[in-house]
Amino acid sequence: MAWISGVGMVRINRHYQKGLRDLAVEAASQALRDAGIDGVDYVVVASSSSYKQVGQLDLAGYTASYLGLRGARSLAVEAGEASGLAGLLAAYSLVASGSADTVLLVGVDKLTEYNSGEAYDMIEGLYDIEGEGFYNIGHAGVAGLLMRLYMHEYGVDRLTMSYWPAVMHANAKQNPYAMLRFAVTPEKVASAMPLADPVTLLDSYPLGDGAAAVVITKRPGQVRIAGVETATGLPSPAHRDDPLYLESVAEAVSRLGLSREELEGIDVMEIHDSFTITAYMILETLGLSDKGRAAKDLAEGKYTVEGGGPVMNPSGGLKARGHPIGATGVYQLAEVTMQLRGDFPGVKVDGARRGMVISMNAMGSSAYTALLQAE
Amino acid sequence: MSIARHWRRRHNLYRLIGTRCRSCGRTFYPQAQRCIYCGSSDVEQARIDGEARLLSYSIVYSVTDEARYEAPVILGLVEVGGVKLITEITDASPGELEVGMRLEPVLRKVSIHGESGLIYYAVKFRPAMGGGGSGED
Amino acid sequence: MTLQARPEKGSGIHGWGAYIPRYRLPLKLIASTWGWHEDQYKGLNVREKAIAGPDEDSTTMGYEAALNALKRAKIDPSEVGAVFFGTESKPYAVKPSATIIAEALGITPITMASDLEFACRAASEAMRSSIGLVSSGMLKYSLVIGSDTAQAQPGDVLEFTAASGAAAFILGPSSGASAVFEGSYTYVTDTPDFWRRSLQPYPRHGEGFTGEPAYFHHIINSVKGLLEELGLKPGDFDYAIFHQPNGKFPVRVGLRLGFTMEQIEPGLVTPMIGNTYNASALMGLARVLDRARPGERILVAPFGSGAGSDAYSLIVTDEIVERHDLAPKVDDYIARRVEVDYGFYTRYRGKIRLMPR
Repeated sequence: MAWISGVGMVRINRHYQKGLRDLAVEAASQALRDAGIDGVDYVVVASSSSYKQVGQLDLAGYTASYLGLRGARSLAVEAGEASGLAGLLAAYSLVASGSADTVLLVGVDKLTEYNSGEAYDMIEGLYDIEGEGFYNIGHAGVAGLLMRLYMHEYGVDRLTMSYWPAVMHANAKQNPYAMLRFAVTPEKVASAMPLADPVTLLDSYPLGDGAAAVVITKRPGQVRIAGVETATGLPSPAHRDDPLYLESVAEAVSRLGLSREELEGIDVMEIHDSFTITAYMILETLGLSDKGRAAKDLAEGKYTVEGGGPVMNPSGGLKARGHPIGATGVYQLAEVTMQLRGDFPGVKVDGARRGMVISMNAMGSSAYTALLQAE
Repeated sequence: MSIARHWRRRHNLYRLIGTRCRSCGRTFYPQAQRCIYCGSSDVEQARIDGEARLLSYSIVYSVTDEARYEAPVILGLVEVGGVKLITEITDASPGELEVGMRLEPVLRKVSIHGESGLIYYAVKFRPAMGGGGSGED
Repeated sequence: MTLQARPEKGSGIHGWGAYIPRYRLPLKLIASTWGWHEDQYKGLNVREKAIAGPDEDSTTMGYEAALNALKRAKIDPSEVGAVFFGTESKPYAVKPSATIIAEALGITPITMASDLEFACRAASEAMRSSIGLVSSGMLKYSLVIGSDTAQAQPGDVLEFTAASGAAAFILGPSSGASAVFEGSYTYVTDTPDFWRRSLQPYPRHGEGFTGEPAYFHHIINSVKGLLEELGLKPGDFDYAIFHQPNGKFPVRVGLRLGFTMEQIEPGLVTPMIGNTYNASALMGLARVLDRARPGERILVAPFGSGAGSDAYSLIVTDEIVERHDLAPKVDDYIARRVEVDYGFYTRYRGKIRLMPR
């Protein structure tokens, strides 16, 4: 058994004044304080872009050193956009196996050290460099392809597609850790500048820097890690019979062994909505929405505190809270933990007992999920 | 882009060589030592060719600095002889694109390694040339 | 005789192919950008010029022309024993394009391959050499490519005609050829009509000096030499194709040599697409082969500054009929056109230097 006993987050932003290490230490210090401990057995650092953007290797070792955790064991984990949850898998395994009593998991990434063209260069590496990643896919090109495929296949218009970002921005507006704290209308999303047509600026996550941390302990706390699972997928959405179906997500979640009622009964979820289309793909892959229906369900109010179904991304999601690539999974964990503790400082899901995190890389090259339980 | 990586993949990139699995019968791009579908190592190189169609596309405006010359880049989900792959579409302005349109392969520059570096060529697709005499193979 | 017009063993063109990029820049936009009077370009008899797209260069264009030639030759690429790439717009100053094309076509590794330079005549030299290589039996098939993304100093009169395009031919033994070489002749001298120094992006030229002492002198001598050698007269030919730096020179040189407009017109492509340099006269030849009937006789005379001209006589065989439709024709590429403006042209041809193209 393993528990989340402390959380810490830095607001996602263009942190020009803070380095990668500053962000990591800030989030980690908060989490240690929140957990009420000074020392840990292990420091697990999840980061993806830092190697290319910042150039620091042995990031876990240096992070532990600069946290003053002299002699602590350290381990770095990289799984692209899913690094944060891959880090949880490592941390959870250390505690559950008895190798450690206390693990500090820090997710950190910086996307604004260079200009956006350089960031896109790094982000292209999330895709298969021997497949589509060889071409000039930019950061949103594959999302653009899949979004058009979805709209074409299911006859969904651009405006209906636009409800996800509108809901996410409304949520993020109340989240002090979110990068984009302003409301947008679906009309504004649809008519925003195209990045990778039909994906507009407001369909995409922003480029931001951030760090989040959680403390995982053998000692019981308020939130129990009820399960961590993962699955890999085919290298490219082009390899799938249905490019819009995320087999890695489906497999990872099914490995948690939940019944349909249990899945639908989850109170709060933080899912990987890197783009509007990825959110809909996840909702439909999980069967929470019928194929081609996710956008319409959302337009009708589903997945919000007022509507039916699990509340999706009260943080504002990758879309509006932000998506510092390798750190994102740890933000999601911290947010769901706070929801279950009842102290999330934004849109609250009252009485939430069960929460889930879903993270993946690119368009499902690998997927990770965590089930958290309030005790 | 590494010089050695492009060099060792040149046939793959110039001639769209993928993998055919003798065990499960599936063909996919790119080249691999084992089948990504069934794990079998009983695979052979296979040229991905035949009729090509555009299944979906995106007009990519936010590109790397290196690709600014070509912007907007048109990315396509293309089906070639029953095999789907994501590649670039060239010789087309956004208004000419239509889901389902027929395409044909061409060899083009995909990226350039700085002012004095190498030029990386690979197969892209363009809308099939209409009119008489076009000899699709 | 130092150079044989008719080697002992015959040779011919088995397959031919062309490529023209789809973008067209109307000459009136060049004139309005640089403040030329419209009479400056009207006399050139060129309406618009073809320009390569941002992901094209002489290598990619040459590849497509060569692929078309291979389709018409109906041979396995591995049967090709030489790949010659004639260009004056090499993507690399050092590193052959011929190997890239040979690799992409599946001709490598047992083949000769090199890039040749002689202004607009390099590909013709490749053709001349290939006749010798094929005739000697050293190899069976040779791939000859002429391809250029011709560059001109913005604002220079050369800018009106410097265009992009490629033509390619598979040469082989006369047996099975679509057209057989009846004879060939070459005439070169040291004539400084047009040049580009190392590391300079654009060529310079001697204006009117490019005409009489260069273009006309060399073409007239190569054609006259060939006719004399073969005992033929202009009236014996069905087609006459000359290097076409503009739409005016090839007509003038043809008429001066005693050819008629009916013979010249079918091979005249520059008025529609501009001067494609190494592909210029050879594109005209490809267009003529696209329509030629068995038994017809073709004269083609490429020219390159510096300066030299070759003249060839070809006789079309029965083989040609079934090959016409095996690949897109020159006119298919001419019909595939999208008009662009000067801003597009400056970006696409790398005249705004983010990175040189």
